[in-house]
Amino acid sequence: MELSTLSSIRNTTTSYQQLASLYKQHSDDLFDNVHIEIKGWFSANMASALGAVLDKLTEGLNSIVFTHIDSGIQQILRKNDFLTYYGYSRAVDNHSTTIRYMKLKPTDGKFFSQYVTTELLNRSELPKISAALKEKMTEAIYEIFVNAQIHSKTSYIYTCGQFYPSKNRIEFTITDTGIGFKTKINERFGKNLSAVQAIKWAVQDRNTTKIGVTGGIGLPILREFIVRNKGLMQIVSDDGFYEYSHLGEKEYTMSAKFPGTVVNLQFCTDDHASYLLASEVNVNNIF
Amino acid sequence: MENVIINVFNIVGTPFGVEADDGQKVFNLVHKAFSEKKKVILSFLNIEILTTAFLNTAVGQLYKDFTEAEIKGNLEVKDITNPGAVALKRVVDTAKLYYKDPGAMEKSINEILD
Repeated sequence: MELSTLSSIRNTTTSYQQLASLYKQHSDDLFDNVHIEIKGWFSANMASALGAVLDKLTEGLNSIVFTHIDSGIQQILRKNDFLTYYGYSRAVDNHSTTIRYMKLKPTDGKFFSQYVTTELLNRSELPKISAALKEKMTEAIYEIFVNAQIHSKTSYIYTCGQFYPSKNRIEFTITDTGIGFKTKINERFGKNLSAVQAIKWAVQDRNTTKIGVTGGIGLPILREFIVRNKGLMQIVSDDGFYEYSHLGEKEYTMSAKFPGTVVNLQFCTDDHASYLLASEVNVNNIF
Repeated sequence: MENVIINVFNIVGTPFGVEADDGQKVFNLVHKAFSEKKKVILSFLNIEILTTAFLNTAVGQLYKDFTEAEIKGNLEVKDITNPGAVALKRVVDTAKLYYKDPGAMEKSINEILD
Protein backbone atom coordinates (compact mmCIF):
# COMPACT_ATOMS: atom_id res chain seq x y z
CA MET A 1 0.00 0.00 0.00
CA GLU A 2 1.44 3.32 -1.07
CA LEU A 3 0.36 6.18 1.16
CA SER A 4 0.13 9.68 -0.27
CA THR A 5 0.51 12.54 2.18
CA LEU A 6 -0.84 16.01 1.62
CA SER A 7 0.88 18.34 4.04
CA SER A 8 0.16 22.02 4.69
CA ILE A 9 -2.02 22.61 1.66
CA ARG A 10 -2.42 26.35 1.21
CA ASN A 11 -2.61 28.52 -1.88
CA THR A 12 1.08 28.12 -2.64
CA THR A 13 3.08 26.68 -5.52
CA THR A 14 4.23 23.79 -3.32
CA SER A 15 0.60 22.99 -2.46
CA TYR A 16 -0.45 22.90 -6.12
CA GLN A 17 2.66 20.86 -6.78
CA GLN A 18 1.57 18.33 -4.12
CA LEU A 19 -1.86 17.97 -5.72
CA ALA A 20 -0.38 17.57 -9.19
CA SER A 21 2.08 14.99 -7.83
CA LEU A 22 -0.77 13.09 -6.16
CA TYR A 23 -2.40 12.78 -9.55
CA LYS A 24 0.85 11.79 -11.25
CA GLN A 25 1.55 9.15 -8.60
CA HIS A 26 -1.78 7.39 -9.10
CA SER A 27 -2.85 8.30 -12.63
CA ASP A 28 -2.04 4.80 -13.94
CA ASP A 29 -3.75 2.98 -11.04
CA LEU A 30 -6.69 0.74 -11.91
CA PHE A 31 -9.13 -0.95 -9.51
CA ASP A 32 -6.87 0.09 -6.66
CA ASN A 33 -7.24 1.83 -3.31
CA VAL A 34 -5.69 5.30 -3.18
CA HIS A 35 -4.64 5.88 0.43
CA ILE A 36 -4.32 9.52 1.42
CA GLU A 37 -3.50 11.33 4.64
CA ILE A 38 -3.96 15.06 5.17
CA LYS A 39 -1.82 16.76 7.78
CA GLY A 40 -0.90 20.15 9.15
CA TRP A 41 -3.20 22.59 7.37
CA PHE A 42 -5.66 22.48 4.52
CA SER A 43 -7.11 25.73 3.14
CA ALA A 44 -10.79 24.90 2.73
CA ASN A 45 -11.09 26.41 -0.76
CA MET A 46 -8.44 23.95 -1.98
CA ALA A 47 -11.06 21.22 -1.60
CA SER A 48 -12.08 22.36 -5.09
CA ALA A 49 -8.71 21.33 -6.55
CA LEU A 50 -8.46 18.18 -4.45
CA GLY A 51 -11.96 17.06 -5.43
CA ALA A 52 -11.04 17.42 -9.09
CA VAL A 53 -7.86 15.34 -8.69
CA LEU A 54 -9.68 12.61 -6.73
CA ASP A 55 -12.42 12.41 -9.36
CA LYS A 56 -9.79 11.96 -12.06
CA LEU A 57 -8.33 9.09 -10.03
CA THR A 58 -11.73 7.43 -9.64
CA GLU A 59 -11.99 7.33 -13.44
CA GLY A 60 -9.67 4.31 -13.08
CA LEU A 61 -12.29 2.77 -10.78
CA ASN A 62 -9.97 3.39 -7.85
CA SER A 63 -11.36 3.89 -4.34
CA ILE A 64 -10.30 6.90 -2.31
CA VAL A 65 -9.39 5.96 1.26
CA PHE A 66 -8.53 8.69 3.75
CA THR A 67 -6.30 6.85 6.21
CA HIS A 68 -5.84 9.93 8.38
CA ILE A 69 -7.06 13.52 8.37
CA ASP A 70 -6.03 15.83 11.22
CA SER A 71 -9.12 16.53 13.33
CA GLY A 72 -9.20 20.29 12.68
CA ILE A 73 -8.96 19.74 8.94
CA GLN A 74 -11.57 17.01 9.09
CA GLN A 75 -13.94 19.38 10.85
CA ILE A 76 -13.63 22.14 8.24
CA LEU A 77 -13.91 19.69 5.32
CA ARG A 78 -17.05 18.21 6.89
CA LYS A 79 -18.49 21.70 7.40
CA ASN A 80 -18.01 22.66 3.77
CA ASP A 81 -19.48 19.35 2.53
CA PHE A 82 -16.30 18.09 0.86
CA LEU A 83 -15.98 14.97 3.00
CA THR A 84 -19.66 14.10 2.63
CA TYR A 85 -18.67 13.01 -0.90
CA TYR A 86 -16.36 10.45 0.74
CA GLY A 87 -18.61 8.86 3.34
CA TYR A 88 -18.29 11.34 6.20
CA SER A 89 -21.24 12.98 7.93
CA ARG A 90 -21.82 16.71 7.57
CA ALA A 91 -20.79 19.06 10.41
CA VAL A 92 -22.63 22.25 11.35
CA ASP A 93 -20.84 25.49 10.52
CA ASN A 94 -21.63 27.59 13.59
CA HIS A 95 -19.33 30.42 12.53
CA SER A 96 -20.80 30.64 9.02
CA THR A 97 -17.40 30.97 7.42
CA THR A 98 -17.60 28.18 4.87
CA ILE A 99 -18.61 28.47 1.24
CA ARG A 100 -19.80 24.99 0.36
CA TYR A 101 -17.88 22.59 -1.83
CA MET A 102 -19.92 21.87 -4.92
CA LYS A 103 -19.50 19.66 -7.95
CA LEU A 104 -21.48 20.78 -10.98
CA LYS A 105 -21.87 19.75 -14.57
CA PRO A 106 -20.98 22.51 -17.05
CA THR A 107 -24.66 22.62 -18.02
CA ASP A 108 -25.69 23.31 -14.40
CA GLY A 109 -25.51 27.08 -14.77
CA LYS A 110 -28.84 27.60 -13.01
CA PHE A 111 -27.66 25.56 -10.00
CA PHE A 112 -24.52 27.65 -9.92
CA SER A 113 -26.67 30.80 -9.82
CA GLN A 114 -28.53 29.44 -6.80
CA TYR A 115 -25.23 28.49 -5.19
CA VAL A 116 -23.72 31.95 -5.67
CA THR A 117 -26.89 33.59 -4.38
CA THR A 118 -27.07 31.42 -1.28
CA GLU A 119 -23.39 31.18 -0.48
CA LEU A 120 -22.28 34.71 -1.33
CA LEU A 121 -24.87 37.32 -2.28
CA ASN A 122 -27.47 36.63 0.40
CA ARG A 123 -25.12 35.96 3.29
CA SER A 124 -26.46 38.37 5.90
CA GLU A 125 -23.73 37.40 8.36
CA LEU A 126 -21.20 39.26 6.22
CA PRO A 127 -22.10 42.86 7.00
CA LYS A 128 -18.66 44.27 6.21
CA ILE A 129 -18.86 43.60 2.50
CA SER A 130 -20.29 46.47 0.47
CA ALA A 131 -22.99 45.74 -2.09
CA ALA A 132 -20.74 46.97 -4.90
CA LEU A 133 -17.95 44.66 -3.84
CA LYS A 134 -20.29 41.68 -3.58
CA GLU A 135 -21.42 42.40 -7.12
CA LYS A 136 -17.86 42.65 -8.41
CA MET A 137 -16.88 39.41 -6.68
CA THR A 138 -19.92 37.67 -8.13
CA GLU A 139 -19.08 38.92 -11.62
CA ALA A 140 -15.53 37.67 -11.21
CA ILE A 141 -16.64 34.24 -10.05
CA TYR A 142 -19.09 33.96 -12.91
CA GLU A 143 -16.48 34.92 -15.49
CA ILE A 144 -14.34 32.01 -14.31
CA PHE A 145 -17.25 29.56 -14.16
CA VAL A 146 -18.39 30.49 -17.65
CA ASN A 147 -14.81 30.23 -18.98
CA ALA A 148 -14.72 26.64 -17.71
CA GLN A 149 -18.13 26.01 -19.29
CA ILE A 150 -17.11 27.35 -22.69
CA HIS A 151 -13.48 26.34 -23.06
CA SER A 152 -12.48 23.41 -20.91
CA LYS A 153 -14.52 20.44 -22.22
CA THR A 154 -14.65 19.28 -18.60
CA SER A 155 -17.12 16.74 -17.21
CA TYR A 156 -17.51 18.64 -13.94
CA ILE A 157 -16.69 22.00 -12.41
CA TYR A 158 -15.65 22.02 -8.74
CA THR A 159 -16.13 25.11 -6.59
CA CYS A 160 -15.37 25.90 -2.98
CA GLY A 161 -14.54 28.90 -0.85
CA GLN A 162 -13.85 30.14 2.63
CA PHE A 163 -14.31 33.37 4.56
CA TYR A 164 -11.52 34.53 6.83
CA PRO A 165 -13.28 37.27 8.86
CA SER A 166 -10.25 38.12 10.98
CA LYS A 167 -8.13 38.65 7.86
CA ASN A 168 -10.95 40.38 5.92
CA ARG A 169 -10.49 37.91 3.12
CA ILE A 170 -12.49 35.52 0.97
CA GLU A 171 -10.87 32.73 -1.00
CA PHE A 172 -12.84 31.16 -3.83
CA THR A 173 -11.60 28.43 -6.11
CA ILE A 174 -13.02 26.98 -9.32
CA THR A 175 -11.45 23.88 -10.81
CA ASP A 176 -12.13 21.86 -13.92
CA THR A 177 -10.63 18.66 -15.28
CA GLY A 178 -10.72 19.79 -18.88
CA ILE A 179 -8.07 20.27 -21.53
CA GLY A 180 -6.35 23.29 -19.98
CA PHE A 181 -5.08 26.55 -21.45
CA LYS A 182 -2.03 25.05 -23.15
CA THR A 183 -3.83 22.38 -25.17
CA LYS A 184 -6.73 24.69 -26.01
CA ILE A 185 -4.53 27.48 -27.34
CA ASN A 186 -2.00 25.26 -29.09
CA GLU A 187 -4.76 23.27 -30.81
CA ARG A 188 -6.49 26.46 -31.92
CA PHE A 189 -3.42 28.14 -33.37
CA GLY A 190 -1.17 25.18 -34.19
CA LYS A 191 1.56 26.51 -31.90
CA ASN A 192 3.68 25.10 -29.10
CA LEU A 193 3.27 27.43 -26.15
CA SER A 194 4.31 26.23 -22.71
CA ALA A 195 1.57 26.10 -20.05
CA VAL A 196 2.84 29.33 -18.46
CA GLN A 197 3.03 31.09 -21.84
CA ALA A 198 -0.52 29.92 -22.63
CA ILE A 199 -1.91 31.27 -19.36
CA LYS A 200 -0.08 34.57 -19.79
CA TRP A 201 -1.46 34.91 -23.31
CA ALA A 202 -5.01 34.20 -22.14
CA VAL A 203 -5.00 36.86 -19.41
CA GLN A 204 -4.00 39.60 -21.86
CA ASP A 205 -6.74 41.90 -23.01
CA ARG A 206 -8.73 40.76 -26.07
CA ASN A 207 -6.95 37.44 -26.58
CA THR A 208 -9.38 34.62 -27.29
CA THR A 209 -9.43 31.16 -28.84
CA LYS A 210 -13.05 31.55 -29.88
CA ILE A 211 -13.76 31.45 -33.60
CA GLY A 212 -16.27 33.92 -35.00
CA VAL A 213 -17.25 35.27 -31.58
CA THR A 214 -15.35 37.93 -29.72
CA GLY A 215 -13.95 37.31 -26.27
CA GLY A 216 -10.85 37.58 -24.18
CA ILE A 217 -12.17 40.23 -21.83
CA GLY A 218 -13.24 38.28 -18.75
CA LEU A 219 -9.78 37.48 -17.40
CA PRO A 220 -8.33 40.99 -18.06
CA ILE A 221 -11.32 42.60 -16.29
CA LEU A 222 -10.77 40.21 -13.41
CA ARG A 223 -7.10 41.17 -13.25
CA GLU A 224 -8.00 44.86 -13.10
CA PHE A 225 -10.49 44.24 -10.31
CA ILE A 226 -7.95 42.16 -8.38
CA VAL A 227 -5.47 45.03 -8.50
CA ARG A 228 -7.98 47.60 -7.24
CA ASN A 229 -9.21 45.22 -4.57
CA LYS A 230 -5.64 44.30 -3.55
CA GLY A 231 -6.68 40.69 -3.97
CA LEU A 232 -4.94 37.83 -5.71
CA MET A 233 -5.57 35.59 -8.70
CA GLN A 234 -3.82 32.28 -9.26
CA ILE A 235 -4.17 30.05 -12.28
CA VAL A 236 -2.78 26.53 -12.37
CA SER A 237 -3.16 24.64 -15.61
CA ASP A 238 -1.14 21.65 -16.82
CA ASP A 239 2.33 22.29 -15.36
CA GLY A 240 1.94 26.07 -15.35
CA PHE A 241 1.42 28.30 -12.34
CA TYR A 242 0.59 31.99 -12.74
CA GLU A 243 -0.21 34.50 -10.02
CA TYR A 244 -1.31 38.10 -10.34
CA SER A 245 -1.84 40.76 -7.71
CA HIS A 246 -1.23 44.48 -7.17
CA LEU A 247 2.34 43.47 -6.36
CA GLY A 248 2.88 42.03 -9.83
CA GLU A 249 3.11 38.69 -11.60
CA LYS A 250 4.65 35.39 -10.58
CA GLU A 251 5.04 32.32 -12.76
CA TYR A 252 6.36 28.86 -12.15
CA THR A 253 6.62 25.57 -14.01
CA MET A 254 5.74 22.60 -11.83
CA SER A 255 7.41 19.19 -12.09
CA ALA A 256 4.01 17.48 -12.43
CA LYS A 257 0.93 18.34 -14.44
CA PHE A 258 -2.37 19.27 -12.84
CA PRO A 259 -5.14 17.37 -14.67
CA GLY A 260 -7.13 20.45 -15.60
CA THR A 261 -7.26 24.07 -14.49
CA VAL A 262 -7.52 25.67 -11.06
CA VAL A 263 -8.44 29.33 -10.70
CA ASN A 264 -8.09 30.63 -7.18
CA LEU A 265 -9.37 34.08 -6.33
CA GLN A 266 -8.62 35.97 -3.15
CA PHE A 267 -10.71 39.03 -2.37
CA CYS A 268 -10.19 41.68 0.31
CA THR A 269 -13.55 42.18 2.00
CA ASP A 270 -12.73 45.48 3.73
CA ASP A 271 -12.47 47.22 0.37
CA HIS A 272 -14.90 50.14 0.27
CA ALA A 273 -13.95 51.45 -3.15
CA SER A 274 -16.92 52.70 -5.09
CA TYR A 275 -16.73 50.51 -8.16
CA LEU A 276 -19.89 52.04 -9.53
CA LEU A 277 -18.94 55.70 -9.64
CA ALA A 278 -15.42 55.15 -10.88
CA SER A 279 -16.46 53.79 -14.21
CA GLU A 280 -19.63 55.38 -15.47
CA VAL A 281 -20.47 54.88 -19.11
CA ASN A 282 -22.98 56.85 -21.18
CA VAL A 283 -25.43 54.21 -22.46
CA ASN A 284 -26.16 56.39 -25.48
CA ASN A 285 -22.54 56.17 -26.54
CA ILE A 286 -21.83 52.46 -26.31
CA PHE A 287 -22.11 51.49 -29.96
CA MET B 1 -38.64 51.97 -38.67
CA GLU B 2 -40.60 50.11 -35.99
CA ASN B 3 -39.11 49.50 -32.55
CA VAL B 4 -38.93 46.03 -31.02
CA ILE B 5 -38.32 45.69 -27.29
CA ILE B 6 -36.33 42.61 -26.31
CA ASN B 7 -36.57 41.90 -22.61
CA VAL B 8 -33.39 40.09 -21.55
CA PHE B 9 -34.84 38.91 -18.23
CA ASN B 10 -37.64 37.17 -20.08
CA ILE B 11 -35.12 35.28 -22.21
CA VAL B 12 -32.71 34.37 -19.45
CA GLY B 13 -35.33 33.71 -16.77
CA THR B 14 -33.09 34.83 -13.87
CA PRO B 15 -31.32 38.06 -12.79
CA PHE B 16 -28.07 36.55 -14.09
CA GLY B 17 -27.13 37.28 -17.69
CA VAL B 18 -24.02 35.19 -17.47
CA GLU B 19 -24.00 32.15 -19.74
CA ALA B 20 -22.88 32.32 -23.35
CA ASP B 21 -25.77 30.09 -24.44
CA ASP B 22 -28.29 32.56 -23.03
CA GLY B 23 -26.44 35.34 -24.83
CA GLN B 24 -26.83 33.40 -28.05
CA LYS B 25 -30.62 33.39 -27.60
CA VAL B 26 -30.59 37.18 -27.26
CA PHE B 27 -28.32 37.48 -30.29
CA ASN B 28 -30.66 35.34 -32.40
CA LEU B 29 -33.59 37.62 -31.61
CA VAL B 30 -31.69 40.85 -32.24
CA HIS B 31 -30.30 39.42 -35.46
CA LYS B 32 -33.77 38.43 -36.63
CA ALA B 33 -35.16 41.89 -35.84
CA PHE B 34 -32.27 43.62 -37.66
CA SER B 35 -32.77 41.36 -40.65
CA GLU B 36 -36.41 42.45 -40.72
CA LYS B 37 -35.25 46.09 -40.64
CA LYS B 38 -36.53 46.73 -37.13
CA LYS B 39 -34.93 48.92 -34.49
CA VAL B 40 -34.23 47.09 -31.26
CA ILE B 41 -34.44 48.29 -27.68
CA LEU B 42 -32.59 45.80 -25.50
CA SER B 43 -33.97 46.06 -21.99
CA PHE B 44 -31.82 44.77 -19.12
CA LEU B 45 -34.48 45.53 -16.52
CA ASN B 46 -34.09 43.21 -13.48
CA ILE B 47 -30.79 41.82 -14.73
CA GLU B 48 -28.34 42.17 -11.85
CA ILE B 49 -25.17 40.43 -13.02
CA LEU B 50 -23.73 40.36 -16.53
CA THR B 51 -20.62 38.60 -17.76
CA THR B 52 -18.59 39.50 -20.80
CA ALA B 53 -19.16 35.94 -22.08
CA PHE B 54 -22.91 36.64 -22.19
CA LEU B 55 -22.45 40.09 -23.74
CA ASN B 56 -19.97 38.80 -26.33
CA THR B 57 -22.50 36.37 -27.74
CA ALA B 58 -25.56 38.57 -27.22
CA VAL B 59 -24.14 41.79 -28.68
CA GLY B 60 -20.45 41.47 -29.62
CA GLN B 61 -21.00 39.09 -32.49
CA LEU B 62 -23.49 41.45 -34.14
CA TYR B 63 -20.42 43.23 -35.52
CA LYS B 64 -19.71 40.14 -37.62
CA ASP B 65 -22.91 40.58 -39.64
CA PHE B 66 -23.77 44.27 -39.35
CA THR B 67 -21.82 47.49 -39.77
CA GLU B 68 -21.04 49.83 -36.91
CA ALA B 69 -23.42 52.37 -38.43
CA GLU B 70 -26.25 49.84 -38.64
CA ILE B 71 -25.79 48.80 -35.04
CA LYS B 72 -25.42 52.34 -33.74
CA GLY B 73 -28.53 53.42 -35.63
CA ASN B 74 -30.74 50.48 -34.74
CA LEU B 75 -29.77 49.24 -31.29
CA GLU B 76 -30.48 50.92 -28.01
CA VAL B 77 -29.96 49.57 -24.49
CA LYS B 78 -31.87 50.60 -21.44
CA ASP B 79 -32.17 49.73 -17.75
CA ILE B 80 -28.66 48.31 -17.69
CA THR B 81 -26.66 48.50 -14.46
CA ASN B 82 -23.59 50.71 -14.44
CA PRO B 83 -21.14 47.76 -14.23
CA GLY B 84 -23.14 46.11 -17.00
CA ALA B 85 -22.79 49.20 -19.20
CA VAL B 86 -19.04 49.29 -18.53
CA ALA B 87 -18.71 45.62 -19.52
CA LEU B 88 -20.88 46.13 -22.62
CA LYS B 89 -18.79 49.10 -23.77
CA ARG B 90 -15.67 46.99 -23.46
CA VAL B 91 -17.29 44.10 -25.35
CA VAL B 92 -18.34 46.45 -28.15
CA ASP B 93 -14.91 48.12 -28.42
CA THR B 94 -13.28 44.68 -28.55
CA ALA B 95 -15.73 43.38 -31.15
CA LYS B 96 -15.09 46.32 -33.46
CA LEU B 97 -11.36 45.59 -33.40
CA TYR B 98 -11.76 41.80 -33.59
CA TYR B 99 -13.77 41.78 -36.78
CA LYS B 100 -11.58 44.46 -38.40
CA ASP B 101 -8.41 42.42 -37.86
CA PRO B 102 -9.07 38.66 -37.88
CA GLY B 103 -5.32 37.94 -37.86
CA ALA B 104 -4.70 39.77 -34.59
CA MET B 105 -4.88 36.63 -32.43
CA GLU B 106 -2.27 34.85 -34.51
CA LYS B 107 0.03 37.87 -34.24
CA SER B 108 -0.33 38.04 -30.47
CA ILE B 109 0.52 34.34 -30.16
CA ASN B 110 3.67 34.89 -32.20
CA GLU B 111 4.60 37.85 -29.99
CA ILE B 112 4.45 35.73 -26.84
CA LEU B 113 6.63 33.08 -28.50
CA ASP B 114 9.26 35.65 -29.55
